[in-house]
Amino acid sequence: MSIVNAFTQFTTGSVRVVTRGSVGYFAWVAALLALIVTGLVAYMGQFNEGLIVTGMRDPVSWGFYIGNFTFLVGVAAAAVILVIPAYIYKWKPIKEIALFGELLAISAIAMCMLFVLCDMGRPDRLLHIMPLVGNMNLPRSMLAWDVVVLNGYFYLNLFVVTYMLVSYYRGREPNKYIFTPLVLLSIPAAVGIHTVTAFVYNGLAGRPYWNASILAPRFLVSAFCSGPAVMIVLLQVLRRVTDLEIKREAIWKIAELMAYAMFINLFFLVAEVFKEVYSDTHHLKHLEYLYLGLGDKTALVPWAWTSLIFSVVAFVLFLVPKTRQNVVTLNIGCAMIFIGVFIEKGIGLVVPGYTPSVLGEIYEYSPSTTEILVSAGIFGVGALLFTLTSRVAIAVLRGDFRLRTANQG
Amino acid sequence: MPCVGKDEVRRHREMTWMRVDRYFTGEGDDTQAVHQPMMCQHCANAPCETVCPVLATVHSTDGLNQQIYNRCVGTRYCANNCPYKTRRFNWFDYPRADELQNLALNPDVTVRSRGVMEKCSMCVQRIQEAKAEAARTGVPLVDGDIRTACQQSCPADAITFGDLHDTESAAAGLARGPRAYSILTELNVDPGVTYLADVRNRPQHASGERHGQ
Repeated sequence: MSIVNAFTQFTTGSVRVVTRGSVGYFAWVAALLALIVTGLVAYMGQFNEGLIVTGMRDPVSWGFYIGNFTFLVGVAAAAVILVIPAYIYKWKPIKEIALFGELLAISAIAMCMLFVLCDMGRPDRLLHIMPLVGNMNLPRSMLAWDVVVLNGYFYLNLFVVTYMLVSYYRGREPNKYIFTPLVLLSIPAAVGIHTVTAFVYNGLAGRPYWNASILAPRFLVSAFCSGPAVMIVLLQVLRRVTDLEIKREAIWKIAELMAYAMFINLFFLVAEVFKEVYSDTHHLKHLEYLYLGLGDKTALVPWAWTSLIFSVVAFVLFLVPKTRQNVVTLNIGCAMIFIGVFIEKGIGLVVPGYTPSVLGEIYEYSPSTTEILVSAGIFGVGALLFTLTSRVAIAVLRGDFRLRTANQG
Repeated sequence: MPCVGKDEVRRHREMTWMRVDRYFTGEGDDTQAVHQPMMCQHCANAPCETVCPVLATVHSTDGLNQQIYNRCVGTRYCANNCPYKTRRFNWFDYPRADELQNLALNPDVTVRSRGVMEKCSMCVQRIQEAKAEAARTGVPLVDGDIRTACQQSCPADAITFGDLHDTESAAAGLARGPRAYSILTELNVDPGVTYLADVRNRPQHASGERHGQ
């Protein structure tokens, strides 16, 4: 049977796989669809009215959308970087970890692209910003580079995942001469997308809060916390629903690596805080706004401290062998790290960079209802994408979903 | 009906291409105010131009920093990188149903549209018109032929516009003078706008005595 035929059957078969399932599965999909529709309705409002319906203003011209985008680039990057320890420590289900990491990366990148689209003032001119189609400002603009690397990363992972799944579906092992180089390529690409995203902020001389050389390294280590947090929860789910051999030790090892990553992240934070506080220049105002507030302008303070406390507690939970090996504290730690980094790389990164503005004005940004609904909708799209693709992947890996050849009847 | 008046400015949505920053010195009865008009500085190393992902803001051969409204996709990245905060984003649409209102629009400039960035264009329409007229008549442009709208309307004649490459021009002469300074030069953006320091003749300050004492 030709590869094209097999691919067609795989596609139609996949539709069958995702349209059958338990009540719980359909309830979950229905909930996600409801979330997506709500987000879509909210976005239509924004499309009609313009960005006036958001909480963004001249002094704070990026907000919740770009914050979520930044956070999710980290998730996308780290899910694949997890392949490195899988190789080094020779975890048995390395291909499965790579596969699900890449599925997570695809969903996260899809969300990233939607967040950028929603943040654009003229989404109808999307073609200008599409690689190969539009005339982009390369090599100068970091945002243009970001679009290029995100697209490249998206298609790279999409190809690897499709190739692997279709191979298994046809009852063959993936050709390691195709599979291994591409997975290895996706590791520097993962580092690349997050570095370029950090450089988007990093290069702005008029924004001292972002114009710090520690920004890109901090992006990477914090991503190494949030991405694996999702993967740990996921691997536990996979272990329950499939007969994949995912050793508990592998999960504990990931948690241990996350503790190191969180330590480096906190250390970088200390380095950043020291530099700003000790030199005590006007540039300190941004950090002051985040952690202490300026006068009665304290919108971010509870968020900043939640993030910090969650990060420290999760660090301790993952550092102590007893708590990282306990399934309850392990998952609590994952949730705390996810929330901690979500705040830190989202609102906590974007908004203080603008507050106070270059003129010294203080505008307290908070996302509008539209922004929250649209963002929830986009997270719904990502979750749905991941649910459906993992469902196909699990069915293939379990052997339930196989190409029926003529001699098998 | 939305409009950019006091209300929108108070909500941090501004559309002024030139704002007047005020700086105060002294206290109480002795307060002195200095006004500094601030608009796009038309930097030679414009930080906004490097970051735009779609080349919607570029340098013209005249040395202007130009914004292409019908190319801008509205990422607002340029405004983030402008140290002078002179770029303005169209957060909403203006109603254009009334034909009479549309007739009041300046036919020489692009009508603003929602979702794109705009800023001081240094009255590019006047520059282009004068250049076209000079090409048609064969009479070369001389210093002072082109006046920007702000220059024309300033009652104190505080704004001078001209070709900085023309060493004989009034603007170039002032920019070379002892009072000339530029803003945020440490960022190496090489602004095309030069300011003149305020010179005050106040002998009572020099002698330490106050007026009326």
